[in-house]
Amino acid sequence: MQTSGNMKWLWLAVGAVVMLALPQLVTSSFAIDIFIRILLFSFIGVAWNLMGGYAKQLSLGHAAYFGLGAYTSTIMQVNYGISPWIGMIAGGVVAMLASLPIGWLCFRLRGPYFTIATIATAQVLMLIFLKFRDFAWGAEGTTIPNLGSAPLMMQFEEKSSYYYVVLGLLVVGLWITHRIEKSWMGYYLVAIGEDEDAAEAVGVNAPKIKRDIYMISAFLTALAGTFYTQYIYFIDPATAFSFNVSIEAALVSIVGGIGTLWGPVIGTVLLETTSALLQSWLGSSVGGIQLTVYSLILMAVILWRPTGLIGFATDVYHRTLRRKPARA
Amino acid sequence: MWETLAQAVINGLLIGGIYALVSIGVTLIFGVVKIVNFAQGEFVMLGMYISFFLATQFGIDPLVSLVVSMPVLFLAGVLLQHFLIRRVLGPNDMPQIFLTFALSLLLLNLSLMLFSANYRTVHTSYSDAAWHIGGLYIPVAKLIAFAVAMALSGLLWVFLHTTDLGRAMRAASQNRDVAMLMGINPNRVFAVAFGTALALAGAAGSLLMPFYSAYPFVGQVFVLMAFVAVVMGTLGNVMGALVASLMMGIAESLGIQFVGADSGLIVVFALLLLTLAFRPSGLGARRGR
Repeated sequence: MQTSGNMKWLWLAVGAVVMLALPQLVTSSFAIDIFIRILLFSFIGVAWNLMGGYAKQLSLGHAAYFGLGAYTSTIMQVNYGISPWIGMIAGGVVAMLASLPIGWLCFRLRGPYFTIATIATAQVLMLIFLKFRDFAWGAEGTTIPNLGSAPLMMQFEEKSSYYYVVLGLLVVGLWITHRIEKSWMGYYLVAIGEDEDAAEAVGVNAPKIKRDIYMISAFLTALAGTFYTQYIYFIDPATAFSFNVSIEAALVSIVGGIGTLWGPVIGTVLLETTSALLQSWLGSSVGGIQLTVYSLILMAVILWRPTGLIGFATDVYHRTLRRKPARA
Repeated sequence: MWETLAQAVINGLLIGGIYALVSIGVTLIFGVVKIVNFAQGEFVMLGMYISFFLATQFGIDPLVSLVVSMPVLFLAGVLLQHFLIRRVLGPNDMPQIFLTFALSLLLLNLSLMLFSANYRTVHTSYSDAAWHIGGLYIPVAKLIAFAVAMALSGLLWVFLHTTDLGRAMRAASQNRDVAMLMGINPNRVFAVAFGTALALAGAAGSLLMPFYSAYPFVGQVFVLMAFVAVVMGTLGNVMGALVASLMMGIAESLGIQFVGADSGLIVVFALLLLTLAFRPSGLGARRGR
């Protein structure tokens, strides 16, 4: 699929203007809240997709890094008064370091058992933070002291400011993905994802590549954790290490298009919009409806469109294009 | 001290019997069909709700409702294999993992909508009964559950080793391609494996009902335990899963007794991580696997 260079830049410019103007045009705080959720989970999905999508290392334990990021910045802020902007990077580094031993253990397993091991590590971290009360407030969690308008402490009065922060994160995530996709590392990742043994046979150092991409993925996921805690002004082990974070990270990528640049974004837009619509129709009184619908969408995608919505759109595009004189 | 230790071991062993039913199901499906059923815990939950409704609507004892929950779930397993799982069998992991995972999410959240998050219990005449032997305390309901679980595991072992169908299943789990060449019908074998595994999960649910509460998330407790046991007991190995499950039950119970009430799972996960670090192919690994 060759789009001419100018067209691509035009699309990007239009997209950028729309995204920057959106919170100024739509002022309803309910809508901005949904936009923030979409951007946040797109970003988490992008982080997951680097490892889960390109290298097909299907983790269901990314909540581990989300939680480590959230706790690192919160502990630094609440106990030592350090700005979450610094805490965010520190959280990323902590997550990166944690991914080394976790990866060392989990990468011993392949396929579904890798997935199970990642679930277990996230659960262990949640249990540790629940158990050691004097270390990080235990099960009760803590609220983040509200300083009013304090941009240097990542606290804003306007919801739209949070929107721009998370939009920035997503842009960084997409840019990193784009760079990796075009580099030798991207090709190695896809090779590992297709057939790890074959990739190793032709000289790909699979353990090293997997370790490196896991570190990048963990780092980015941790940034999302810090942002989320700052956004909701609260942290406890159940929200920071929530299994739902791990699920949604994987789900949005698979539904949108696993191992593609825009897949996680498209998946999140679909899932979060569906969820918001359900909520406004039914109210939040019906517990479980959101994940019921998510799981049905996931099943439908797996059974009928394993390449996700992006794959579907590409198929349609090529089919309509075939009528025109072929260019390539 | 010794009495506390013995008591903890007994408690763990008894609940380990239930873990065994769940893990044997997981390992059976993995061995024969080569997929991991992430929804196995949700079938334990369904087994519990079947027994709960039979007990509250018709006054049927949960242990008797075993004869309903097992066949119902066996049938569910056969249909599941036929209509869903069959479509994703292939070299690609992603659809297999996420299809059963989606199924788990679906069953869990549907139950949440239909049955609410309330804890449901069934009180039977033997729910609180216990035998005192020396200084030890043995709850009757758990003992019955353990005994039936072991009997069912034994029956499965006999089935796998003495019947043609059982041998065909073991053959398929050792080498699927060669088994197919020998004329084994994969669809039939897969369906029976799936059905049997779900029937075991249903049995676990019914056996739990006299002393355990049913709620939509209950399966998660058991499935995590089962996954750990299956990894520790070497993937696809029924005997390994049984022994590992009993060990996990004991480890969890010792953790609760000596580390703290909320530490059972930490001990179990620590065991998993240690196994991965030092014996990644499991405790029951044979050479050349």
